[in-house]
Amino acid sequence: MVSPTITRNILWVSCVIALLFCANKISAQEESVKKKIAAIIALGEGDEQTEAVLALKKTPSPEIVGWLEKWKQGVIYIYEAPDGTIIPVIMGDKIEGTRKTAISRFSDDSPVLDESGEQVGVGKYDLDMADTNSKLRRAMSEVESLASLADPDPEERIKAIVKSAIGQRQDKLPALLELQKIETESKVKRALEESIALINLRSDDADKRLAAAELLGKRGSLAAFDILKTIAKESKESGDKKMEEAALLGVKRIEAHISRINAVGTLFRGVSSGSVLLVVAIGLAITFGLMGIINMAHGEFIAVGAYTAYMVQNIFGTGIKLSPFGQSITIPGFGFGEFGMSLYFAVAIPLSFIVAALVGLLLERSVIQFLYRRPLESLLATWGVSLVMQQLFRLIFGPNNVQVSSPVWLSGNWTVNDVVFGWNRLFVIGFAILIIVATWLVLNKTSLGLLIRSVMQNRNMAACMGVRTERVNMMTFAFGCGLAGLAGAFLSQISNVGPSLGQNYIVDAFMTVVVGGVGNILGTVVSALGIGMADQGLQQYLGNPVIGKILVLALIILFLQWRPQGLFVTRSRSLD
Amino acid sequence: MTKAPAASKIQMPLLIVMAVFLVIVMPLLNVTGHIEDFTLNVWGKYLCYAIMAVSIDLLWGYTGLLCLGQALFFTLGGYMMGMHLMLMIGKLGSYNSDLPDFLVFLGHKKLPAFWEPFYSFPFAALMVFLVPGLLALIFGFLAFRSRIKGVYFSILTQALTYAAALLFFRNELLMGGNNGFTDFRTLLGANLREPSTQRVLYIVTAVLLVAVIAGCKWLTASRFGLIQRAIRDSENRVLFSGYATANFKLFIFVICAMIAAMAGALYVPQVGIINPGEMTTERSLEAVVWVALGGRGTLVGPVVGAVGVNALKSWATRAYPDMWLLILGGAFVLVVMFMPKGIVGIPGQIRDWMAKSKNRRENKKESDVPESEGEINES
Repeated sequence: MVSPTITRNILWVSCVIALLFCANKISAQEESVKKKIAAIIALGEGDEQTEAVLALKKTPSPEIVGWLEKWKQGVIYIYEAPDGTIIPVIMGDKIEGTRKTAISRFSDDSPVLDESGEQVGVGKYDLDMADTNSKLRRAMSEVESLASLADPDPEERIKAIVKSAIGQRQDKLPALLELQKIETESKVKRALEESIALINLRSDDADKRLAAAELLGKRGSLAAFDILKTIAKESKESGDKKMEEAALLGVKRIEAHISRINAVGTLFRGVSSGSVLLVVAIGLAITFGLMGIINMAHGEFIAVGAYTAYMVQNIFGTGIKLSPFGQSITIPGFGFGEFGMSLYFAVAIPLSFIVAALVGLLLERSVIQFLYRRPLESLLATWGVSLVMQQLFRLIFGPNNVQVSSPVWLSGNWTVNDVVFGWNRLFVIGFAILIIVATWLVLNKTSLGLLIRSVMQNRNMAACMGVRTERVNMMTFAFGCGLAGLAGAFLSQISNVGPSLGQNYIVDAFMTVVVGGVGNILGTVVSALGIGMADQGLQQYLGNPVIGKILVLALIILFLQWRPQGLFVTRSRSLD
Repeated sequence: MTKAPAASKIQMPLLIVMAVFLVIVMPLLNVTGHIEDFTLNVWGKYLCYAIMAVSIDLLWGYTGLLCLGQALFFTLGGYMMGMHLMLMIGKLGSYNSDLPDFLVFLGHKKLPAFWEPFYSFPFAALMVFLVPGLLALIFGFLAFRSRIKGVYFSILTQALTYAAALLFFRNELLMGGNNGFTDFRTLLGANLREPSTQRVLYIVTAVLLVAVIAGCKWLTASRFGLIQRAIRDSENRVLFSGYATANFKLFIFVICAMIAAMAGALYVPQVGIINPGEMTTERSLEAVVWVALGGRGTLVGPVVGAVGVNALKSWATRAYPDMWLLILGGAFVLVVMFMPKGIVGIPGQIRDWMAKSKNRRENKKESDVPESEGEINES
């Protein structure tokens, strides 16, 4: 039974090769493809038609797939000419002056004319659609899957290969085996081996089954996990000891592989969510950690950054209409189109820093400067500010979330050994590293950084040495707020932008700084990564994000029992 | 920092007038029909807030502990009372089951074991104090033992509240999820929808408010209150004088949690709903606003602040819905910056200011010595 199938398939595989290398010939064949399908449709429903469709396997091509799809969609109608011939047709335009529609032949797009040469018109419901039944559709999908196995795009080929292993039908095997002979792409080869092994699990040959189980186990094939489990159960019932053992071994190996994937995945997600925390908290580490100002409006500065990104996006695009306080303001856009959309973010990043820093400057001059010696009052006053700012966002941008689009390059992912690394998460990590390095450089390699550190260490002494502490305070606060703005531009890419954006992060941000040890940037980095990992780890372990989060908060409270001043203590002889 | 005598001179008569007005005059006017049932009910709500505000003041104004978790204790007390009220609905709920509606909705056939004792009112009343009190005891013990203070304490209480709210939003806790409890019918056999029941609840609230204030007055005037204020002003000196400040703080923290919980338990039957939305840090901070606006470190201040701000809120959210948060936030910033003693402290502040400018004028006459830098540092 097997050998004739193989010989038949060698035939079409040669066609596959022809397709791959002589793509230009396809267009020449187009006419005939359409004619062929038209002829098949004209055959009418029945086994003959199904056979004819299956015969198309000999010449699989995307062309055929396209027309078969049309057929399935029911766009093709059947017109019975007065002389009894059946003509597959497609509906054209309305014939003027009548309520009828013109029809044209499917095979060559020529209009259907009656004996007098007039266009034949039909009513809307006069014709029947070219029908398909389940048998026919199965035949069609077989043709289609063969065609996609010959797809020039390796990704498409892999998809088709994986798909053909579903159901483990032996009749799919020859095609895969033939493809294996000519395939050169290593990724596709791996997929092929797995799919072939999957199908071989149901092979009549016991050795083949054992080998397949062995291979799938070694590969840690996720697709084989459930199948191997069932096979182990079946073999146990049928008393096939050897097969059962092989299947169980395979299951065990795959389980180990899955737990490895999960561990790496959790680690990666932990680092990336730690990076989010880090980006959000780094500004706070400056204002709270270094200056001792409890800025409850920190979250709103994040929102300022996010809304700046939103504005830049709209100004690069089609402009925007705002209606603050009942006034209608229209801001025109440059209309840069596609090109602008891919570039706007590069402009939004520095702008969000500048805008948030300016707002921070304003806040420092108007409120914060009076509260340097009263940290509890600074907490309350900035909370009042945060209420005002949130309401202003609501009045200016509306109470709903606004849409900030991500550049296309952020939406893909990168898969290594079944572990998926999303681009946006990688971007998060890269961005966090960038911000940390930039902050470190500013604090340690610039004169502003030197002044900031000196004022934070001993305000009075710095003042005595001629440092204008007022100005340094101002700059430091603005710098911290600018970092919050950066975080906002960054969050606009991975979460919703709305008036309460900042509220979602403020508690986490404070926790990060407190755990890290106040006044220490390195501590913030370590604690952000630690909290991020603990959060993701517990989520993975408990399978419940909220309980995980609650546990993390509880853990933090317990941690502060052990180290009340955080991970990294800034030593000082002063008694608060 | 505080000169108690000047403030307390006006406080005492003001307190008595307030007590008489709230406990006797308001309900009487309601009986005679001069005050509508609705208004009295709203005032009952304000007074619950006022009790919570007093608890915050006792912690913050007198001990220097800014707790952002009072809303948590308030809501916990409310939940304990709410559990009893839910069971009292009996078969009157929309599913005609003995179980509270949300449990039926979640597919439960039997009442969870921890709900069972709440059929008894005394037990529920005990739990109102016990559960928040225990939570405060454990949290406070951990926090004060490791000498977490100042803003760190605030941030930690904020985190605690946040975690608890997350927990109460879950259906698995069997506490009503994000809808919480509502649709209450009876309390101790009295129909909660009758104006007379609501009037009694109002009077109970007002009496308890007066009692709480009287209790606080006694406590703050005692030796304990002195240590309390000493801790606020310089904890290290108190510690070095041989007082276990952590124990004092723990005691006051637990007491305040219980007071807030009591306010919550009174709040629920009057408002008719309790849900985790009340448990947020924002609610705590709002209550802190009342205290700050009214005047912290005084006992009248929180009451004035709670009632005043909430009355203003009721009016402004209807008249200027968009502007309300701007007004509240703006007013709060101004009060924190320029009126550290709040509304109650205004007369004293004006007196101080006048005395100062008078002094300055006299000083100027005597000699033209420029002012010292010390002034700026203080501000």
